Amino acid sequence: MGVDDVPLDDKAKRMRDLLSSFYSPDPAMSSSNSSKFASLDAINTTSFDADQYMNLLVQKSNLEGLLQKHVEMAAEIKNLDTDLQMLVYENYNKFISATDTIKRMNNNIVGMEANMEQLLEKIMSVQSRSDGVNTSLFEKREHIEKLHRTRNLLRKVQFIYDLPARLGKCIKSEAYADAVRFYTGAMPIFKAYGDSSFQDCKRASEEAMGTVIKNLQGKLFSDAESIQARAEAAVLLKQLDFPVDSLKAKLFEKLEQSLEDLQLKTEEITNVLEDSSDPINLATTNDASIREFVEAIRAYRVIFPDSEKQLIKLSQDLIAKHFEITEQYIKEQISVAKFLGVLRIIWRDVLLMDEVLNEAFLPDYSLGAAQVVVKQYVANTFSHLLRDISDALTVNIHMKVEELPLQIALETSKNAVLKGSMDVLVDFRHFLDDNLGFLLKLRDSIVDWVQEGFQDFFMALDKQFLLLSGRNKSVSQEQGLTEGMMVDKVLAGLVLVLAQLSVFIEQTAIPKITEEIATSFSGGGVRSFENGPAFVPGEICRIFRSAGEKFLHHYITMRTQRVSVLLKKRFKAPNWVKHKEPREVHMFVDLFLQELEAIGAEVKQLLPEGGLRKHRRSESNGSTTSSRSNPLRDDRMTRTNTQRARSQLLETHLAKLFKQKVEIFTKTEFTQESVVTTIVKLCLKSLQEFVRLQTFNRSGFQQNQLDIQFLRSPLKETVEDEAAIDFLLDEVIKQEPDSRSFGLLLEVHQRFYFSLIYMKIVREGDLGLTSLSFMHSFLGRQEFKIFMASFDIFWQAMMDMCLLMEQVIVGTSERCLDPIPLEPPILDKLIQAKLAKKREQNAITS
Amino acid sequence: MQGASSGVGYGLKYQARCISDVKADTDHTSFITGTLSLREENEVHLIRLSSGGTELICEGLFSHPNEIWDLSSCPFDQRIFSTVFSTGESYGAAVWQIPELYGQLNSPQLEKIASLDAHSGKINCILWWPSGRNDKLISIDEENLFLWSLDCSKKAAQVQSKESAGMLHYLSGGAWDPHDVNAVAATCESSVQFWDLRTMNKTNSIDCTHVRNVDYDTKKKHILVTAEDESGIHVWDLRMPKVPIKELPGHAHWTWAISCNPEYDGLILSGGTDSTVNLWLASTSTGDGMTSESLVESPTQLVDPLLNSYSDYEDSVYGLAWSSREPWIFASLSYDGRVIVESVKPVLSKK
Repeated sequence: MGVDDVPLDDKAKRMRDLLSSFYSPDPAMSSSNSSKFASLDAINTTSFDADQYMNLLVQKSNLEGLLQKHVEMAAEIKNLDTDLQMLVYENYNKFISATDTIKRMNNNIVGMEANMEQLLEKIMSVQSRSDGVNTSLFEKREHIEKLHRTRNLLRKVQFIYDLPARLGKCIKSEAYADAVRFYTGAMPIFKAYGDSSFQDCKRASEEAMGTVIKNLQGKLFSDAESIQARAEAAVLLKQLDFPVDSLKAKLFEKLEQSLEDLQLKTEEITNVLEDSSDPINLATTNDASIREFVEAIRAYRVIFPDSEKQLIKLSQDLIAKHFEITEQYIKEQISVAKFLGVLRIIWRDVLLMDEVLNEAFLPDYSLGAAQVVVKQYVANTFSHLLRDISDALTVNIHMKVEELPLQIALETSKNAVLKGSMDVLVDFRHFLDDNLGFLLKLRDSIVDWVQEGFQDFFMALDKQFLLLSGRNKSVSQEQGLTEGMMVDKVLAGLVLVLAQLSVFIEQTAIPKITEEIATSFSGGGVRSFENGPAFVPGEICRIFRSAGEKFLHHYITMRTQRVSVLLKKRFKAPNWVKHKEPREVHMFVDLFLQELEAIGAEVKQLLPEGGLRKHRRSESNGSTTSSRSNPLRDDRMTRTNTQRARSQLLETHLAKLFKQKVEIFTKTEFTQESVVTTIVKLCLKSLQEFVRLQTFNRSGFQQNQLDIQFLRSPLKETVEDEAAIDFLLDEVIKQEPDSRSFGLLLEVHQRFYFSLIYMKIVREGDLGLTSLSFMHSFLGRQEFKIFMASFDIFWQAMMDMCLLMEQVIVGTSERCLDPIPLEPPILDKLIQAKLAKKREQNAITS
Repeated sequence: MQGASSGVGYGLKYQARCISDVKADTDHTSFITGTLSLREENEVHLIRLSSGGTELICEGLFSHPNEIWDLSSCPFDQRIFSTVFSTGESYGAAVWQIPELYGQLNSPQLEKIASLDAHSGKINCILWWPSGRNDKLISIDEENLFLWSLDCSKKAAQVQSKESAGMLHYLSGGAWDPHDVNAVAATCESSVQFWDLRTMNKTNSIDCTHVRNVDYDTKKKHILVTAEDESGIHVWDLRMPKVPIKELPGHAHWTWAISCNPEYDGLILSGGTDSTVNLWLASTSTGDGMTSESLVESPTQLVDPLLNSYSDYEDSVYGLAWSSREPWIFASLSYDGRVIVESVKPVLSKK
């Protein structure tokens, strides 16, 4: 099968090769092409060996194959013959047609030469004629051209001679643009011939131009002219090579001057502002001037388009100046309305200027400046507030005329703190509510500033308090010396005022301010979140709580220190071992009582009365304290059991009386009672300590006994309604006839007296009486238990004090070589004598 | 803050004011204390803390002729101590020796080595040379400062030098600087005065009023702690005597006694008339060195310096003493004659 295919292919290929070799100029190509077929059956190659082919064929093929080959070859040969014949015939045909074409061409060329000669002749004749015309017209044309030139020249000369007049005309009609055009047209001629032929003419026109320039300048500088006209004037001047820069500078100077005028006006405005409370008024005056300025800037920009930089600087200067003035201005304490008014004016100016000078980014610029000013304003407001408060504190205290200076100081300073802060907040609310451009942008910052401001303000207030109280010796070491001196001058009362004020700030002012801030100053958020909100009321509260406690403690310390000095003098000075027999109560008792009275007076002015039931003992002191719980709660029993309850109650109190340890060091509270008791207890404890350091002889001991006894009794004397007390005490005694021994009841009696006396110290008269009647009515109707419970605080304080006094006497006896107490009658006599003396003194003074 | 249970108690018969650590006893933690009774026979107690630390044992009980106002143990001989005593009318000071065979004797008598009898007024205290064997002693009365030379073998004491504090300066106590043996701090009414023992001149003074007690920081030079009546505790740097470097609130009433721990820097013990003993941790570092050796790593301002308040006392605490052998142990003495020995370890370990 394959054998069949190959010869068929071979045949076609051979045909193609043969044909191409025929036409191809390079036989080597075709031979090389077909060389690969130069095998046995490559008939078409030049190296074809017919014999070899035959041999091969005969050897390879059988008869049938040979026969087939034969037939194939024969057919092939016949085909080739026909192909050759066809080719020869076609070539012959082409030859015949080429011969025909050549024959036709030959016929057409004949007769062409004659026509060409004819044409040449005609062209020659045309040329000769045109030459003739040309020569005949040449002279005339020359003449005409000359005449035309002359005429042009003459016209120019005429124009130049006319120029002055024309310029004059232009000036008259104010057609400066034409004048300038004419003049610049004539300029080259003047330049070339100005010195010779057209001298007069030039001078005249220059004169005219002078006026033109002058007029133009006038026009440029006159504000009455329209900006367009002025701009044109500037352009014309520039065309005339007039030194425009100097003009520009001049104009700029003018602008600056107007700016200065404006600033002057602003200053006036601020002055006016201080006098008149009407910011609108000033706004109008300022308005006009700023508008003028804006117009001027607009004109200037149109006239000198390349002058932005200077203008920007100028306007920024103006704004800076504005803010500078404002800064100066807010150093004084001004109301927020006025401040806002000023800001508003500035903002309006800025907007106006922004319209003409968009490139200056004036709003941004002024935003920066406003930020500074507003911040400063906020800071200033707070410092004013701080000053107000400290003024309120100090001024009032040093005014001795007032009846209750401390109370007034406290009230005014409370007011100053609360109202001041509220006013500040309201003021700053205005900032936020105002829709002024930059205030809107500054809103967040303002919120932060206000919060920060409050935080810093309260910190500063705390420091200021410390400074006022003279306690910050260690706060600033450099000031150590001066502070040390101040300490003596600081009034104890002021410290108490500070203590109370701190409590007020912590409990009242801060919550209110926090609330206010929360409602209108929340947000902010310019500050980073890590720092948290700027105003931390919790922290401030904590600071003031501890400050309040510190001040109260400090007050107590100051007061007890004075008593300590008194006691120290008393106990250090005499030789107690050689003391003489007591003749009268020592005067230190008087001084001590005076001190207590002074304290009572101060405390009464400032501190609230203690809610009787509010009293809580601190848990920090002594295990014995905790075991004693509220007796009221312990025995909730029916009315039938009241007797037993009463006796139990009394028992606990009495048991406490004889307890060794005195709970004198309880937490002091912000009440009159608490403070006074603490001071009294501390002083008595000091007395005890002083006594322990001495050694007494019998008389020394008796003297002390007398003094302490007197400390108890004059207090009793000051209670006015003795009968009522006696009645009361009788009641008390009657209530417990069966279960208590008389001695114990007497003890109660004595202590109870003292509690009343103490109340008398604290409350000075009327209140004491009120309490007495209150107690009286109670005792009339209700149980003794309730009375005891409600007077728990007094009771305890009294018992503490009595115990302390007893301890003083015990301490004295311990330190006495020969402790024999004074006989009661003598004691009584001496005390009565002292009382009488005192009454006498009171009578004299009153 | 209750330190009630941990303390080991010991009762004296009478009231007492002073207790001292027996420094020279290196084998035991022992304290010596004396009673203050005007009309009874006074006693000196030598107390030893049992090895377990759970019990106070009376090692010796000696009668002392008068009530004892000040008592301090000799730093180099555990059997020697000094007392300041009063008969009620007059004062005296003496150095005593505990008799050697006191164990066998029924009522052993103290042996008086020397009587420091140059004083005329009220004697306040006797200071021993801060550490080690030295024959120097200082006694302070209200007006004068005496430097004694003590010869134990000859049983004699001689006044080496004496200086008057000057008019209107009533001395009330003092402390010997452990860092500079020539310096002594003496407290008087309105200031703390510093004396140079070589020249017996006043070198410096700190203005602070009502100082009850003063103590040098044994670990850090220039640091002095004062206890004041009303205004609590102040820590001073003697190089900057104008302003205290630290203020501690002290006690509810007066702060009477103060004592710096001999080992732990900044650990201060104070006893007050409010019947409490307070333990403070006051870092005394001043600018130039945030000390890494301080017990707590740079405590911030907010940390409460009060570590603990021991309130298991019935009366004012006048006597305080750290044990030098076991520096975490201190003895305190309240006026009612109760000795309480406490360890501060539980408090420190908490911190």
